Amino acid sequence: MVNVVDTLSNPPSKSFSGVVGRIACIAKKDARIYYFKPQILGFGILIPAFVYLSFSLGRVIPSDLLIPGLVGMVSLFGASSVEAISVAIEKQTETYELLQVAPVSTTTIVLGKSLAGSAFGIMLSLVTAVGAVVLTGAQIANPFLFAIATIVGAFAFSALGMLFAAAVKDMPTANMSLTALRLPMIFISGVFVPVHALPLPLRVVSFLTPLTYLVDALTGAMTAPSIQLAIDLAVLLTWVVLLQALAVFMLNKKTQF
Amino acid sequence: MESAIEVTDLTKHYGSITAVDGLTFRVARGEFFGLLGPNGAGKTTTIRMLTGLTKPTSGSAKVGGRDCIKESLAVKQKIGVVSEVSNLYNEMSAWDNLMFIGELYGVDKLTRRARAKQLLEAFQLYDRRNDHLLGYSKGMKRRVRIAAALLHSPEVLFLDEPTSGLDVQSSRLIRSIIRELNREGVTVFLTTHYIDEADQLCDRVAIIRQGKIVVEGSPERLKSSLQGEHVVEVAFDRDESSVEMFLRADPNVKEVSKQGDKYQIRTGSPSATIQRVSQFAASNGFEIVTMNTKQPSLEDVFVKCTGLDAVQVERMEFLRAAKGGGQRG
Repeated sequence: MVNVVDTLSNPPSKSFSGVVGRIACIAKKDARIYYFKPQILGFGILIPAFVYLSFSLGRVIPSDLLIPGLVGMVSLFGASSVEAISVAIEKQTETYELLQVAPVSTTTIVLGKSLAGSAFGIMLSLVTAVGAVVLTGAQIANPFLFAIATIVGAFAFSALGMLFAAAVKDMPTANMSLTALRLPMIFISGVFVPVHALPLPLRVVSFLTPLTYLVDALTGAMTAPSIQLAIDLAVLLTWVVLLQALAVFMLNKKTQF
Repeated sequence: MESAIEVTDLTKHYGSITAVDGLTFRVARGEFFGLLGPNGAGKTTTIRMLTGLTKPTSGSAKVGGRDCIKESLAVKQKIGVVSEVSNLYNEMSAWDNLMFIGELYGVDKLTRRARAKQLLEAFQLYDRRNDHLLGYSKGMKRRVRIAAALLHSPEVLFLDEPTSGLDVQSSRLIRSIIRELNREGVTVFLTTHYIDEADQLCDRVAIIRQGKIVVEGSPERLKSSLQGEHVVEVAFDRDESSVEMFLRADPNVKEVSKQGDKYQIRTGSPSATIQRVSQFAASNGFEIVTMNTKQPSLEDVFVKCTGLDAVQVERMEFLRAAKGGGQRG
């Protein structure tokens, strides 16, 4: 009746094409399910929009400060929200177990999810950048490096969201704890106030957040790309690797009980 | 016979609690194996360790000849898992869920479309394939979940309480398909609360209590181990307290319980009890509506094994030892 004993030639789950296919499959599924969740609209788009408006209305902000800060903040909230919500919901509904019992490693799952969250952050950031450039008439000296910095930053923030969601039990806790980290982060990372204008203790802390390096890299790409931009990108890449590895570790620890 | 599942001294501790305590058993290729036990006995922890969801504290487990920890991806490619919760994506249709699962297992596009159609037809859901699961009943979701576990043609199917809380129609359909799968050669590992279900489906069952297997064997063999126990079931045309008092007074009777309008009498001598009940009815003006003897059921074995009566458990362990250690392939 069911004829389940057909021999299927499934590609080995460890081959490169097998892994890439599975990463893409997880990313497509997450994009389809979570991009349009109301929570994404709230935590990923509305909160950063309101925060930015409340601090910028009535002030004259030069475009080389406005655009990197705005794009950096949109990337932080957009990329981290999708995966924080996706992992938290999937843990709660036990759909995360579907991925766990499939022939995919936790690293593959994290990369797939990270790809979906990053793509969302990248899209939002680029739309924001284009809109800001059109409205202010600003010039971006090196659009290619600007895009590269946006992409790397989005991957770091996506992993950050996943790390928080892996560590906590449910979605409200994931969102609240992540917001509690993101809000102070935007005040010390050069989004509203340049880092060099911060008091020394805050300046020291600012070097510990990936957003500082993204905003600095975007500023460099907008004005005059230099060695500083390369250093920013290298630090951001280190954050990506570190946060992804921590997300893998935390998911293994919290789900394989 | 070649083993599909081989478990040796498998143990899982959660802090000071021992959920699974040195389980050792084998399931032969193509066998239908049932793991029975009350809540908290360690069934789900066992299934989670065999499917790579939980790391054992000690011991080893192999599925399809591959180590569940060291070669977990290879094991996962060979198995289908249906957990107690129908954990699919409610935001997607049945068809899209199956396509996603197929892709995740690396099944090529043409094959997964053909398999999905075949499975949804078998589970009587093809007409609803494009509806989001949010609108499905519990039974329909469970059917899709089982179809998803079969999409990549697994060699071994793990089912954790597959019919728990489902309507009769869904339960019957699921049982019939699982039975058919097993006939086609798929090894099935089932955990269930429904003892009748295990009795109908399983070639062999193991009863687990406090993380340990207390008895193991074919359902008929386990039932035959209780041959010294008989139940006489009787219903009278009316009910009076004197009836139960009379039944309990019989020296052959070990236990009397009332189920609906019937008395269940556990007796060491069914013929003497039947004779005595008939005489009582005739001399006191009662009419016997029904009276029959019942063979011990798998449920009787289960109650014996999982009850708190240590003497009963010891007896089953003795029976297990008498069968040659109880570990058979």
